[in-house]
Amino acid sequence: MRKLILSTVIAATAATTAATGAFAQSPSDIAKARRAFYTLVGFEMATLGGMAQGKIDYDADIASQSAKDIMTLTGYTTADLFAPGTSNEDLPGETRAKADIWADMPGVQEKGMAFYQAVVELNEVAGDGLDALRPAVGKLGGTCKACHDDYRAADF
Amino acid sequence: MSEKLEKTYVWDPVVRILHWALVIAFFTAFGLGKFGPDQMTLHFYAGYAVAGIVALRVIWGFVGFSTARFANFVKGPGTVVTYARTLPSPKPSRSFGHNPVGAIFVVGVLIVLAMQVLTGMLSDPEDYINMGPLAQYVSIETARQALSYHEPLSFLLLLMIAGHIGAIFWYKKRKGENLIKPMVTGYAELPPRETPAE
Repeated sequence: MRKLILSTVIAATAATTAATGAFAQSPSDIAKARRAFYTLVGFEMATLGGMAQGKIDYDADIASQSAKDIMTLTGYTTADLFAPGTSNEDLPGETRAKADIWADMPGVQEKGMAFYQAVVELNEVAGDGLDALRPAVGKLGGTCKACHDDYRAADF
Repeated sequence: MSEKLEKTYVWDPVVRILHWALVIAFFTAFGLGKFGPDQMTLHFYAGYAVAGIVALRVIWGFVGFSTARFANFVKGPGTVVTYARTLPSPKPSRSFGHNPVGAIFVVGVLIVLAMQVLTGMLSDPEDYINMGPLAQYVSIETARQALSYHEPLSFLLLLMIAGHIGAIFWYKKRKGENLIKPMVTGYAELPPRETPAE
C-alpha cells in the first residue's frame, strides 16, 4: 500500500509538469470525479464517526468493513484527480479545492501520508470494540481537518 | 480641578465575573480554534462557555443591577453623537456605568458573539469528528455557509476587542480615567450622585 501512495506522489509530480491521460477530460469532469472520490471517503467516515459519537450503535463487522473500504480508497491513484487547472479559482462554484494545493504539492502529500497512517491504525483496531475505535476515528478525522484547514475553502 | 469624587459602586459581581470569564472563554476558544488540536472537543467546550456567558449577560441586561440593564445604558443616536463629540477632549467622562458609545460596543459584541456561537454550532467541516451540535438539523449547504462565516467572525471579534482595549487606553491616557479597576473591584471614583443607584 505504501508503494501505491509513493506512486501517487510521483504521478502527482508528473501531472504538474506534463500532460497525462486525464487531460482528455474537462476540468469540470475532473473536479466532479474528485468530489465523488471524497464523497466515498466521507460516506464510510460518516458510519465510523457516527459510531464513535454514539449516534449509531457500534458493530464490529460494519466498523471493520468501513475501515477496510477507506483503506481500499487509499489505493486509488488520486494524482489525475488533482490535475492543474481544477482549483476553485479555475472552477468557481464547482469545487472548494484551493489553488494552494498546486502551489504546495509536498504539503498536500504530507497530509495525505498522515491520513494514510491514520487509516492503517484504524484498520488495526476497528473490530476491537468502541473504546478502541473511538480514538482511531478521532485521529483519522483530525487528518481530514488538517488538510481541509489548509487546502479546502469553507464554502463554494 | 476642585472636582469632588467619591467611591461609587458601578459594576455588580455578576457583570464583573461574566466579563472576565468571557475574556478567558473567548481567548481559549479562539486559541484552540486557531492553533489547537485537530480534535476540537476543548474548542467546543470553550464555545459553550461563551454561549452560557452571553446568555446570562443578556438575561442580566433585563433583571440585573441598574448599570447592567440595557434599558439604562442603550441610548438614542442623538445622545450617542453628543457623547462621541466629547471623546477627543481631555475632560474625564465620569460615566456611571456604560457610556452611550460604549453601549454600542456592548450590544454589538454580544450580537457578534451570539452569531459566532450559532455559526459554530451549525458548522459541518465534513471531518466527521468536529461537527457542530446543530449541524445535523440543517442542510449541508447551510452548514458550509455557517463554517465559512465562523472564522471571519472570529477576526471581527478580535478587531472589536482591539477597539475596546484601545478605548480603555485612550480614557487612561487622555482623560486620566482608569476603567479597568472598577471592572475588577466594582468601584469607581465618580462625582456624588443625586439619586443613588437602585
